[in-house]
Amino acid sequence: MADPRLFRLRVTFRETGRLAMLSHLELARALERAVRRAGLPYAVSQGFSPHMRIAFGAALPVGVGGTAEFFDLFLTDYVAAPKALAALQEASPADLYPVEARYIEHKDPAASVACPVSTYEVVFSEAPVSVVVPEEITVVRKKKEKTLAVADFLVGPVELDGATVRFTLAAKPTGSLRADAFARELVAATVAAGCAPATLHPTSFMRVEQREA
Amino acid sequence: MARRDLWPRVEPLLARVERPARYLNHEWGCADPVAEGDTAFCMIYPDTYELGQANQAVRILVNAVNAAAGMGAERAFLPAVDMADLMREEGVPLFSLESCRPVADFDVVGITLPHELAATNVLETLDLAGIPLRTAERAEDDPIVLAGGPCAYNPEPYAPFFDVILVGEGEEQLPETVALIRDLRASGASRAEILREIARKVGGAYVPSLYRWRDESEAQKAGSWVEPLFEDVPAVVHKRVFEGFAESSALEPMIVPYTEVVHDRLNVEILRGCARGCRFCQAGMMYRPVRERSADNIVAAVREGLAVTGYDEVSLTSLSSTDHSQIAEILTRVNADCAGLGVRISVPSQRLDSFGVEMAELVAGQKKGGLTFAPEAGTQRLRDVINKNVTEDDLFSAIDAAFAAGWRRCKLYFMVGLPTETDDDIKGIASLAQRAYDRAKAAVPADQRGSIRMSVSCAVFVPKAQTPFQWDGQISPEETLRRVGLLKRSVKYKAVDVHYHDPKTSFVEAVMSRGGREVADWVEEAWRRGARFDAWTELFNEGAWTGAAEALGISPAEIAQAEYGTDYVLPWAHITAAVSPKFLARERERAASGITTPDCTFENCAACGACPTLGMDIELQKLREAKDGGEPAKNPYRAILGSEANVEEGAML
Repeated sequence: MADPRLFRLRVTFRETGRLAMLSHLELARALERAVRRAGLPYAVSQGFSPHMRIAFGAALPVGVGGTAEFFDLFLTDYVAAPKALAALQEASPADLYPVEARYIEHKDPAASVACPVSTYEVVFSEAPVSVVVPEEITVVRKKKEKTLAVADFLVGPVELDGATVRFTLAAKPTGSLRADAFARELVAATVAAGCAPATLHPTSFMRVEQREA
Repeated sequence: MARRDLWPRVEPLLARVERPARYLNHEWGCADPVAEGDTAFCMIYPDTYELGQANQAVRILVNAVNAAAGMGAERAFLPAVDMADLMREEGVPLFSLESCRPVADFDVVGITLPHELAATNVLETLDLAGIPLRTAERAEDDPIVLAGGPCAYNPEPYAPFFDVILVGEGEEQLPETVALIRDLRASGASRAEILREIARKVGGAYVPSLYRWRDESEAQKAGSWVEPLFEDVPAVVHKRVFEGFAESSALEPMIVPYTEVVHDRLNVEILRGCARGCRFCQAGMMYRPVRERSADNIVAAVREGLAVTGYDEVSLTSLSSTDHSQIAEILTRVNADCAGLGVRISVPSQRLDSFGVEMAELVAGQKKGGLTFAPEAGTQRLRDVINKNVTEDDLFSAIDAAFAAGWRRCKLYFMVGLPTETDDDIKGIASLAQRAYDRAKAAVPADQRGSIRMSVSCAVFVPKAQTPFQWDGQISPEETLRRVGLLKRSVKYKAVDVHYHDPKTSFVEAVMSRGGREVADWVEEAWRRGARFDAWTELFNEGAWTGAAEALGISPAEIAQAEYGTDYVLPWAHITAAVSPKFLARERERAASGITTPDCTFENCAACGACPTLGMDIELQKLREAKDGGEPAKNPYRAILGSEANVEEGAML
């Protein structure tokens, strides 16, 4: 529930290098600890088990980093955004680094659903001749196989520039196509079509942009 | 030799294993790789990152080596089974975290021995590192392999695997050892010369290869199972103590892990040692004398530690935190500092009386999970035997206070198979737990009684080296199951549930705890047959251990279960924790007669011998108040460090 006395600070950060291997839970804990180290006046929930009022954006798969990740932090006192950013930077490792902080409205959508459209950039071990986008992808969800139509999730074309592939996926309220699953199937289809050798694999995988629908 | 960086080979494996964050390094607070030219020490915990990174000893020792000039420390942990198998498949050896170089490339490697079930993991660690398993097989340029930790008090089952076993507290001893190795290597000394010098010069260092192992009859006649091969190596190895503990900073710089580890919190060690004198307890004998850090030191460490780590929980650790003479002041001040920050404060090792509950209440806030108490035995007779100086009234007053204060769950710890235990003692556990439940019920409003839970948790008694019960055997796993069965049948209340420890693993613990050098072969054979991660219930491989015993023709049951008279010379007689063998024998005799011995931090000196042997005193911040509220008895070996230090203790009495 929005408490009008609190200040809602949206912090954008990079998750890079080896820290792309963190799970969402590990990432969340690391960010909370950085906030504590930064000494910001974070709000604490009332009740049985008091905890920091912080909300995280859409989760990244393990192994996928990001340059435009964000979280919302609720503060009890106003701290000028550049000052808050500097304190967070001081308290953060280089691979989990805050790059922007700004205050947003309480009525703005929650961090987890604010930006359902994500653009990813994958750098492959070598440049494919072209990429083959599969039409359907079968995923296992809650032990059940489910077939997803790629067209339902893919926004715009899959762009190939040398060894770099760029694509945009939209999350639906009913579910989403995981970027790592999509990339895996993309590689499989591309290799199967003879457009790249079987050794083709990502060397870097980043979410580079998140935006509203 | 150019440094080998294994990261390019490790990284591709991480997508294929669980919890890759175990292998990443780069945590907040992690140190730089060892500088070029410095002597490189690799500190290894022989289990996964989640257990090892939380270990306070590892943290202290890495910091101690990093603080010394001309040397540096990195960390390594045993990878989980999936990663270890994958590394073997891909030919990737065990690596350190900070520089990701092969552990075998370090000058010195130290493996801590935290408990008896880590033995096969020691071999798994060495093998994965590509270091020859036995000291006898190591070449000049292999690392010097050190061990330390609680199991060093009976080092023999590990003896062939280690070049040096360090006994006691390592804060000074470890950097001293590494410095000696550095200097000797620089002067071109051979491996054999280095080991001999360590044995001669480092207090508490045991170099097994410099001693001949005797057979039983010879050992009994000679008074020791080992014979020094040279005149200048000590016949008896005395534990080291970090004498500066009480005055040293309670803030131990720490690394903040990404993946969730056990005890994932700031730890502040508030005191060391416990002199309650439970006769089964090795830690209580090992860390004497008791030394307290001051309230100011502790409160500052908590404040600073939370600020630099960002942790939301702090634990005030020790063997008996509520015994600290300033505990009420400490908790009150820490509480005030943490108000409104959503920070939890925990105090392990709950003292079993209403004072213990008062202290728990000070820091519990609104969330009252469970409280744990350890009566250890079900009858007063047996509690007197083990010197657990706790009565039913103590327990019941603790229960009254806890449930009145809002707690609804309580866990009671007991041991099964204690010396002299009878079926009446087992039934006594059931009776005590049920009466505790009745007391809890009476202390709770009628409408909340349904939520009361009382659980009984039973460990199997494991006789430990350097304790009064070191001569006593463990009961057989079958007998354990019979007694647990009797206990379960004796508990009639549905709200009281019984849990117990697997007697098969406790059996291996007892063999490791009591065995001599011959047990090392058993460990190696069990490991060759697939035993590893023995402490992980789901990975314990009983067949490997029994098969190994058959193949070698040894009887582990005899080792675990044999009972000896106090004149019998035990395989660890050449190691001492400064508590005299006479004291241990006397305590065992008092146990047999059901006579208790008081805690010397509150009352008279019990003449264990630790203080005079070490030339130290018990160091308290102020007098500990006697349990009955009476005048504390005089003790010549007790020093008061705090603001009352200017007052002669004797003059107050």
